[in-house]
Amino acid sequence: MNLFKASCSAILISLAAGTAFAEISVIVSANNANSTMDQATVSKIFLGKAKSFPDGSQALPVDQDEGSAARETFNSTVLGKSASQLKSYWSRLIFTGKGTPPKPSGNDAAVKAIVANNPNIIGYIDSSAVDASVKVVHKF
Amino acid sequence: MKKISALSLLTVAISAAAPAAQAGDLNINGFLSVGASMLDKNDAEIAGADNQGGFKQDTILGLQVSKQVNDSTSLTGQLVSRGSDNYSTEAAWAFVTYSANDELDLRMGRLRIPAFYYSDFLEVGYTYNSIRPAEEVYRIPFSSIDGVDLAQRFSSGDIDGTVQVYYGRYQGDFESNGTVYEADFRNVTGISVSANMGNFGSRLSYNQGELNLGSPAPTGTGLAVAQGSANGLAFLYGDSSAAEDFNISGQTSSFIEAALTYDDGTYSVLAEWTAFDHETSVLLDDQAWMVSAAMRMGEFTPHVRYSTQKDEFDSGVEGDIQKQFGLEADESSITLGLRYDYDSSTALKFEVQNHDEKTIGGADGDSVTLYSAAVDLVF
Repeated sequence: MNLFKASCSAILISLAAGTAFAEISVIVSANNANSTMDQATVSKIFLGKAKSFPDGSQALPVDQDEGSAARETFNSTVLGKSASQLKSYWSRLIFTGKGTPPKPSGNDAAVKAIVANNPNIIGYIDSSAVDASVKVVHKF
Repeated sequence: MKKISALSLLTVAISAAAPAAQAGDLNINGFLSVGASMLDKNDAEIAGADNQGGFKQDTILGLQVSKQVNDSTSLTGQLVSRGSDNYSTEAAWAFVTYSANDELDLRMGRLRIPAFYYSDFLEVGYTYNSIRPAEEVYRIPFSSIDGVDLAQRFSSGDIDGTVQVYYGRYQGDFESNGTVYEADFRNVTGISVSANMGNFGSRLSYNQGELNLGSPAPTGTGLAVAQGSANGLAFLYGDSSAAEDFNISGQTSSFIEAALTYDDGTYSVLAEWTAFDHETSVLLDDQAWMVSAAMRMGEFTPHVRYSTQKDEFDSGVEGDIQKQFGLEADESSITLGLRYDYDSSTALKFEVQNHDEKTIGGADGDSVTLYSAAVDLVF
């Protein structure tokens, strides 16, 4: 079932992007001192389990808007959770004041603009949208 | 259209300029559960349901407002209105959080007692598969205290977790065998430790509190009658000093819990064991545990749960006296349910629960079937 869904979204994404696989890049500002991060580090930051980058500076994750292809791929590949599972995960933290989910902050272009302007912010966008204003720290 | 793009620009501008912890943001979140339940017959009690059916017992509305005051301090308040309580509204949470650093939080105010695995999100039905937590196990008749707690998060390699200690006082209603008492439980304190590694999780908690119901319990109520008859019975059994063990006020009750979880995204299991140990012999010690398993298949999650609770008598004369009260229970339930995730914030749930009261009030009980449906959402 999951495989079926994953294949479906993969096909949809490929169709939309016009390539075999849409590659997603996890990005930080070009002014951020960190170079590369593994999947576990990125996952911890986006799940609120880690609040700083490997170099110790504060890390603030931003999401794409709900329903975006990049967000779905990011959730299932990097975080390993479905949209409902993530909602449930965050609800358990929100209603105890223990955490708030990353802010939904628009599409590739909007996220890139936010990330470029603040060295504390980390986001993810389709690799085709990457330019010199941001630095790729993880790709999948 | 113009308005929307102006708004998004503003959002982008705010986010871009946002200082570290997004100070100044007022977050409003909420949850709503609307449930209907019906028993096949009124021969046993479960989830406040009866054979006429109703929408009240599982209906809960919660509204939470939180604000990050500065980098280290936030305020959180949560109002909950419960159908099972005639929709009277109470502050389930109201606290100030001070984050000493990324790993250490100090909270002050009205807090949830972290006695159970589900304690933190007890009323947010959306966060679990069943319509309500297992009643046999989730049997502490109050869930919040006014006090302080300290939470230290830790992370080492693949393991991450939290150690929480708390201290406070509970003043409010306390229900025992159908009678509601005015309680003032002091020195309510405890520790909970939870750890996660990959798909596995574990949790331990120890909690204790000092009982005060006014001394003695109001005449005519179950506990006063029990206390009174304990005096007579102790004399009959030739051990008058045993009567003192039936005093309530100033006596300490403790509660321990252990839970194990597994979740690989498709299969999930939760096992939770708990035990009550009361210093006073008026209340019976007991043990209760549950095991539940679920399988996620896309939007559908069928699940099954077994839960049971059994009272235990003290040893010696105290136990002999307790047997005369006719208060003990031995009950269990098997629950079959289906959760359907309608969208990423709404779940529909259907459940059939067979509840068997092998012993209730010291006598043989009956078995009933409860049918429930609910819609849970978070916003």
